[in-house]
Amino acid sequence: MQVRDHSVSLRLAAEARFILLVQGVVEQGAAAFGLDRGKALRLTMAAEELLSHLAETSAGVAVDLTLTPGGWCVRADFSFVADPSDLWAMNLAAREDIGPGRSMDRLGLLLAARMSDGFEIRLDGRVVHLELRQDHAYEAVTPRPVRAADARGEVRVVDDPEPALIREACALAVDHYPAHLVNETFFTPGKAVQMADRGDMTVALAVDGTGAPAGLMTWRSPSERSVGFCGPYVFVRGGGTAGKLEEWMFAAVARTRAVSLFSELATADLTAENYELLGRLPLGRPGLRGAMPADGAGQEGVELDILFRHLREDSGRAVWTHPALRPFLEAAYDQLVLMRDIREVDHAGADLPERSVFSARLRPELGIATLAPMVAGRDADQAVADHVRTLTHDGYRSILFRLDLAHGWQAALAGSLVRGGFAPRLVLPDAGKSDMVVFLHG
Amino acid sequence: MADLDLRRLVPAHVRSFESYRPSNPDRELMRLYGVDHLHRLNNNENALGPPPAVREAVESFPSGVVTVYPNGDCFDLRHSLAGRFGKDPERFLVGNGSCEVIASVIKAFCGEGDNIVTADRTFAVYEWVAEFSGIKARLIPLRDMAFDPRGMLDAMDERTKILFVCNPNNPTGTYWDRATMDAFLDEVDGRAVVVIDEAYFEYVDREDYPDGMALMERHPNVIVFRTFSKMYALAALRVGYLCGSAAVVDMVRRTHVVYSVNTLAQRCAEAALRDDAPFIAATRTMVREARERLCPMFDAMGLEYIANEGNYLMVRVPMPDTLMYRKLMREGIMVRTMTGFRFPNWIRVSLVQGPVMEDFCRAFRRVLDKTA
Ligand SMILES: Cc1ncc(COP(=O)(O)O)c(C=O)c1O
Repeated sequence: MQVRDHSVSLRLAAEARFILLVQGVVEQGAAAFGLDRGKALRLTMAAEELLSHLAETSAGVAVDLTLTPGGWCVRADFSFVADPSDLWAMNLAAREDIGPGRSMDRLGLLLAARMSDGFEIRLDGRVVHLELRQDHAYEAVTPRPVRAADARGEVRVVDDPEPALIREACALAVDHYPAHLVNETFFTPGKAVQMADRGDMTVALAVDGTGAPAGLMTWRSPSERSVGFCGPYVFVRGGGTAGKLEEWMFAAVARTRAVSLFSELATADLTAENYELLGRLPLGRPGLRGAMPADGAGQEGVELDILFRHLREDSGRAVWTHPALRPFLEAAYDQLVLMRDIREVDHAGADLPERSVFSARLRPELGIATLAPMVAGRDADQAVADHVRTLTHDGYRSILFRLDLAHGWQAALAGSLVRGGFAPRLVLPDAGKSDMVVFLHG
Repeated sequence: MADLDLRRLVPAHVRSFESYRPSNPDRELMRLYGVDHLHRLNNNENALGPPPAVREAVESFPSGVVTVYPNGDCFDLRHSLAGRFGKDPERFLVGNGSCEVIASVIKAFCGEGDNIVTADRTFAVYEWVAEFSGIKARLIPLRDMAFDPRGMLDAMDERTKILFVCNPNNPTGTYWDRATMDAFLDEVDGRAVVVIDEAYFEYVDREDYPDGMALMERHPNVIVFRTFSKMYALAALRVGYLCGSAAVVDMVRRTHVVYSVNTLAQRCAEAALRDDAPFIAATRTMVREARERLCPMFDAMGLEYIANEGNYLMVRVPMPDTLMYRKLMREGIMVRTMTGFRFPNWIRVSLVQGPVMEDFCRAFRRVLDKTA
């Protein structure tokens, strides 16, 4: 069997005496995978904290650690069998409960989450997969003043664009668009190239007749059934660049597993008739990164259009809802001409685990935080309130919460969200296992 | 019990493959969309059919026959086809729809590392079957909405085993005329098998439309596909067939599942061939009238459309095709979305009887007026 990327794995028992071993493997492995020293140390410390947490809470349990180079990052994946509710300390809001003068016994877990560039918790039956990620350091670009020129010759989308061309196009996107509409990886074009190389992001790149970049569009698959795109970013006038990039993308994704296509960052250049407008979401703090062009986007009140198109015919299905959500869903589905049997659930909370665990995706430069439930516990109301308090304190102005209506237990959380000051804003058809509802706080 | 390790058991090209999901049954769709009728204009079925002789075959079908296996290689039907086309019965191979014979041909000719060549925007099953068999499909862009012979020839290499030409093409309805087809076959020069899929053969009434059944006599590498699903309106019974040179068909037969076509289907297909001329003429008239009804409406609305041969046409709508589908479904009309055919924002509509076309026109206008 070939080992992809020569990942390194280790199986050990969760015991304090193995901490040094884990430290050694992660530190040296990360260095071998090219992570710079500072970043390798952060990953090492996070791994160490996690192991000591497990040694304390689940002594002796088998832990599989795999360290994998991801091209633009290094990932440390821990899998073990545990009560997921024990992971509550991974919650963003956990620092309220942990620290000097309060409980110290979950501090390690909190640190592990904070020291990573990203972390993800997945449950596979009773097996918890906890992945910590550190990204390589890349040089960042800043916007330069530019003006769009006319396209020279015919604009076409190129197959398999050169890395140098991708870098150039990323920098041009940074120049031409307000920062809040630019895919964050474009600010570090080297990272964008590597993400494209790894297939973690797909790039469609258009050039004009002289071979100069005319436009750019990127997409990725946040779930098996959906594709999220950024763009189109257009650098020349004329030539139908946006339409060509969009058709290229549709052709690429239409025969995959994906059912629906969403905008993550939609620019005004896209072809409106290719999409359905699902709604608008306020940006918390637009344009904190880089200079803002004088288009008003730096001020309050900027909203992001959320657009969508299905890739297949929709033959309808059933979704779960909390009674509080039903009127919203009925109106949204009617508006979207989407046929759904809406079934109600309302957990009184009797057989739920004690504590909730929420994942968080943070875009500090935009002031947007997106939460999703991994475990819904009896403390849901409190957990929601804690998260809002923590995020608000950190300056997040747009706090979103996503529920997948395929799961009754997620739909049931709508009650806690509404009590916690959230209101449903949009339905993303087929964005998860089924439709997702996006709530906005305030 | 140990978990089933599907990652190890299933080849990567199958794991990454998306299964085709046919739509829900009509009654379920009608309930969800809240309509009391549903016109199916999504699968190019012949709403007129089947021919009268088929009705008799169905009605006189003895229930006792269901205990007995069908004739394994469709003996009687092959003899009927042989009589109709003046060829040896051994040169016909009948399948459970022509979809099944696509798989048999690919299995017969392609091994690991081989490839097939076809168009990027055509009937998707050639590409699907190739890819789930681990065979690379080279997809050549259409040129002026038609198969591009030059592009296909240029894409051939020594590992190219089959060229699939859909004539007329589903969904654009374009066809290669006799001269184009002749020049193409001359240039292929027997280096690969050429499948001419003539699923819509009986709909084409053009002087310069080539007949694959004649071409194969000069080109032993030609295999022709035909089906009883489209013109003969036997889509539910699943009968399609191929015809080729005896040696080629002998090879394909080795990979073909026997007993895949049931007795009722065999009898109905045979019946359909009997005295079919008036039925074909009536169907062609229906299709022509439908085309003449729809095209002026699209013109008046300023919409781009492609209406060539076959019992279908395509129109480009000013919204995602998938949204148009949902809106038309709410009016009791089911069309085919074309994003998957790489025609985003286009829908394909089957051409059927006047009253249904009127319903379609009304619903279509209503949907677009609302969004205008
Ligand atoms: C071009 C073409 N070939 C083959 C088929 C398959 O028909 P069947 O399997 O019903 O014979 C179709 C049906 O849509 C088609 O359009």
